[in-house]
Amino acid sequence: MEIVVCVKPVPESETRLRPTGDGRSLDPEAVKFVLAGYDESAVEQALLLKEAIPGSKVHAVAYGVAPRTEEVLRSAIALGCDAATWIDAGEETSGDPIVAARALGGLIRTLPHDLVLCGKQAGDDESGLVAAALGELLEVPEFGSVVDLRWDAATGQFRFQRSVEAGTEIWTAATPLIVGLQQAWNDPRTAKLPAILKSRKATIARATPTAAGGGRSSPERFELPPPRTGAKMIEYRTPEEAAQKLVRILREEAKVFP
Amino acid sequence: MSGTALVVAEIHAGRLAPATAEAVGVARSLGLTVIGFAAGSDAGSAAAEFGALGVTEAFAVPDPRLDTAPSGARIGSIRQALSASNATTVLTVGTALGRDLVGHLAIAWDAAAATGVTEVVATGEGFRVRRPIFGGRATETRLLAGGHFALAIRPHAFPPAAGGANPCTVRELPAGELAPGLLAARRTGVSAAAAGAGPGLTDASIVVSGGRGVRAPENFHLIEELAAALGAAVGASRAVTDAGWRPTSLQVGQTGRAVSPQLYIAVGISGAIQHLVGMISSRVIVAINSDASAPIFKVADYGIVGDLFQIVPALTAEIRRVRGL
Repeated sequence: MEIVVCVKPVPESETRLRPTGDGRSLDPEAVKFVLAGYDESAVEQALLLKEAIPGSKVHAVAYGVAPRTEEVLRSAIALGCDAATWIDAGEETSGDPIVAARALGGLIRTLPHDLVLCGKQAGDDESGLVAAALGELLEVPEFGSVVDLRWDAATGQFRFQRSVEAGTEIWTAATPLIVGLQQAWNDPRTAKLPAILKSRKATIARATPTAAGGGRSSPERFELPPPRTGAKMIEYRTPEEAAQKLVRILREEAKVFP
Repeated sequence: MSGTALVVAEIHAGRLAPATAEAVGVARSLGLTVIGFAAGSDAGSAAAEFGALGVTEAFAVPDPRLDTAPSGARIGSIRQALSASNATTVLTVGTALGRDLVGHLAIAWDAAAATGVTEVVATGEGFRVRRPIFGGRATETRLLAGGHFALAIRPHAFPPAAGGANPCTVRELPAGELAPGLLAARRTGVSAAAAGAGPGLTDASIVVSGGRGVRAPENFHLIEELAAALGAAVGASRAVTDAGWRPTSLQVGQTGRAVSPQLYIAVGISGAIQHLVGMISSRVIVAINSDASAPIFKVADYGIVGDLFQIVPALTAEIRRVRGL
């Protein structure tokens, strides 16, 4: 099976965020970029399927700027992906996920793709639009919020769950298929040191965006919320007193329930 | 900005989800004429419910194939409704379905797209939207421009549309031709989030979550009873779902679901960053934990340091008392 997995570099979750001088976007200076959380699951899912289906290959693709996009592809190689292609975003910094989706779609169209895996959303912009946009661009059925994607060799179909508001749905679908992954059936693996060292010398193919059509959205402002000052602690002598005080505060001060 | 907005209904258990009323409210606050849209076997009755939100016109695509087909199968009929109504904006709710539709429309309809929107105003060229990013650790403002717009709003970020008693004229549309690939993918089963059928996690205006501090699956009823007293949805930290005490669908956090209710009560949850990114944009956060130095107290608005096995039953009893349950 030919599997394409889309990945994105995002700031490490502990990173201190700070706006650029013009206040429009995140200042990438001094930020450590890593493989986005759901994308880690997507890579894990791709590798699990590769291990389960003989003759499979996993091609990692990413759209973005140097050097972090190339680096995140090296981490995908270190984890076990067979090939990687970086689409250089160059000066395009709109941060519009649809621009990224168009670039990724233009590339994936030229690659064999029985299965395209994306994280269900990236931990930075949290748009969650790329998988759906790829579905439309490549005219392939697409599912978001997928959990536990399995291949059933007997029927030649995927079987997976989808975590939606009303509960969990169970689906079957044939190839080709596009998935926005919420969770693989394993925790993402970590790369071993020899693989990391080897990935430094791996060839990352480089592409330029083929798709026309610029972004329809542009960043205007990036803001940090005022720091939370810490909880107002409720003093009490008995559990009943704690409960009464909290309920009174929630009704009268916070006004969150009638 | 003036014109028409198509509000795509989120249907839960055959009825319009509360967040759809919020989407109608947003469209109206932007000065747009609202037309409803509902798809799936319950489309007819759900579309008629738009009348209670003061919407007088709606489209229904009552094709049961849409119940078991991927989101993309709805795009054909949404585009028909868009042409028939001359709408230039689609408003939907930031659920799994709503976000899928926005992503499809960004390509199929060449729309400027945004999800998770918590504020929106009209500009000369389109809209200015604000949306929490980085799990609520930052907020971005983006300008959307062009001829078409597709927005998914974040549940609970906007007041619902005021009621009305207008009859809503429902026009039926066919689902149109569905690509073979769309029909080959099939939903074969559904398991409801909880048998008690409380509100869904992202729908709920109150969420009560339990963590490792609950200690054992047989103690989780304490969380569920508190939630029931509040009419709240039940959530869980990753420790709980990984241990199999509760299903993954209840997990709040980075690898689970992000929620932003009016009130989030974290019980026995220490507050790892992994959990915080899933709930930090809640309006009011209450933490109950035995460890006064737990990081959850840094992000909570109100905290109780104490034994949850004593505090939670007392709280449930007090809420039942004041609510007359």
